[in-house]
Amino acid sequence: MDTCLQLVDSRLRGNDGKETVTIFKAIPKSVYICLLLPALVLLVSAMQSMDGHAVDLHQVLSGSTATHWLGTDALGRDILSRLAEGIGLSFSVAVSVITVCAVIGISVGMVAAWLGGWVDSVLMRFVDIVLSFPGILLAIALAAVLGPGVENLIFALAAVGWVGFARLTRAQVLSLRHAPYIEAAIASGQDTVHIAFKHLLPNIAAPLLIEASFGLAAVMIGEAGLSFLGIGIQPPDASLGTMIREGSQLMLVAPMQVFYPGLMLFLLVMSANIAGDALRDYWDVRSKR
Amino acid sequence: MAKAARKDKFAPMLARLVLFRILESLPTILGVVTLVFFLLHLVPGDPVDALLGETALAADKEALRKAMRLDEPLYAQYINYISGLTHGDWGKSIISHSDVWTLITERLPATAQLAATSLLLAMILALPLGMIAARFQGKAQDAAAMSFSLLGVSIPNFWLGPMLMLVFSVFLGWLPVSGMEASGSIILPTITMGTALAAVLSRMARASWLESMQSDAIRTARAMGVAESTLWWKHSARMTAIPVVTMFALQMGAVLGGAVITETVFDWPGLGLLTIEAIQRRDYPLVQGCVLIIALFYVLANLLADLLNLWLDPRQRKQS
Repeated sequence: MDTCLQLVDSRLRGNDGKETVTIFKAIPKSVYICLLLPALVLLVSAMQSMDGHAVDLHQVLSGSTATHWLGTDALGRDILSRLAEGIGLSFSVAVSVITVCAVIGISVGMVAAWLGGWVDSVLMRFVDIVLSFPGILLAIALAAVLGPGVENLIFALAAVGWVGFARLTRAQVLSLRHAPYIEAAIASGQDTVHIAFKHLLPNIAAPLLIEASFGLAAVMIGEAGLSFLGIGIQPPDASLGTMIREGSQLMLVAPMQVFYPGLMLFLLVMSANIAGDALRDYWDVRSKR
Repeated sequence: MAKAARKDKFAPMLARLVLFRILESLPTILGVVTLVFFLLHLVPGDPVDALLGETALAADKEALRKAMRLDEPLYAQYINYISGLTHGDWGKSIISHSDVWTLITERLPATAQLAATSLLLAMILALPLGMIAARFQGKAQDAAAMSFSLLGVSIPNFWLGPMLMLVFSVFLGWLPVSGMEASGSIILPTITMGTALAAVLSRMARASWLESMQSDAIRTARAMGVAESTLWWKHSARMTAIPVVTMFALQMGAVLGGAVITETVFDWPGLGLLTIEAIQRRDYPLVQGCVLIIALFYVLANLLADLLNLWLDPRQRKQS
């Protein structure tokens, strides 16, 4: 992974990999500060190893106690453990969705840009139509139709998210299509797949990684949003979105129930946004929006 | 005099261009309608089973299937749907049996009201913020404005809403918790929705101020001795207006997507809440109508942004 990033980095900065810089240097400290609290929750929860699904009706909505550090919810379940589960879920869903989006989007964008002609027109028309919906609305409609479940949630979010990658990849590949080294590769008879992976991908990686970083933020909000609306993760599983939903119904009795999961989600989303900004500044890629 | 003559020459060309752009969006609209139709007709499982439950009588199921015209082949349903839409027939709600179009128009004013106040708030916040950030680029004011923007884009509105309720309605008791009847009930939903919009817009405003201030035109004007304040308020402001107005028009569409969540949080009886209610009741024709109307507004907002751009930016006109 690290050497791969170094390769990407050296291509982008044109130093032929002699300088050993990695993009991790570009990530500002504020990202780590944002991730501090969620990491602490994960760590403490791992050490306590409590079951976030264990119902204890004798201890409903308790405040902080020696056993339940952040208290319990309406069913007496340990909030800290549920937060940890929610953070893990939020992160794993976001990474899965972005991976699916990137694979589909990059492939479609490359095919469209490389083949051009009617293939390009058809693919981009479809992308335009998907982009004619406010993203969250299409995801809501899809998730509602498909029914609850993690796989359906990932599918709904990915169905909306891939278009960004497709557009970006297409634009980038088009700008490189006639670069001397690409034409040289074509002239020397290298096959298209080789050119795509060896020459195109490393050279368009910077904007794609930035898109992925902002995409993580958007997907985390999207997943929690759908779960908040009751069409994403279903009880008894804990998602930050379902916890906010349950918490906001108990606001008068237990205000912290809605505060904790929201704070965690906010910190995760903000760290992804800061990382995206930092990468953009580092590679000096102009804002595409 | 000369200006008027030039206007006359360009007016028919501009009109043609506008017409062309409008015609160009028609295939997109057809695509949106098609996607919405297939989205809800390729539901895994039988919608009739979902509505009546698997234990329902076969006769009842058959009746409902007939009523929903689900017994016809898919292409026939599709043609029916499209021809219905062109006649203003958006279908009937399964639950309340009223026209989908009537249900939508009942809820539209509430959403329009909320969207208008949110966009207004976003504008009032974002323009000064963006300008201050650009004017003091790299200084504390810039950092403060951009931190606000970062917070605004990172804070989920389904959390901001409950937190605002908690502070202003529960602890302080200043504002109503939810609904639309009580006075001042629009304030919290407006802040909830406006914050994210303001965050995006202020970033945009900052970037375009900076870009215009670094442009050749401004550099030339500065070299010719134009006062710095004139540069800012007269020359740069006009250049900045183009991307900001475009962005604003785009946000008008995005705001409707955001309304789904904000209206659910605050029980605001608009289109967004109607969508969620329809989803929860599995009222598919109504879901279809809601999703379609929001998407159509979004397409129209994009078209409006395009046309505004054409109107404001002479370079665009020439290019087209």
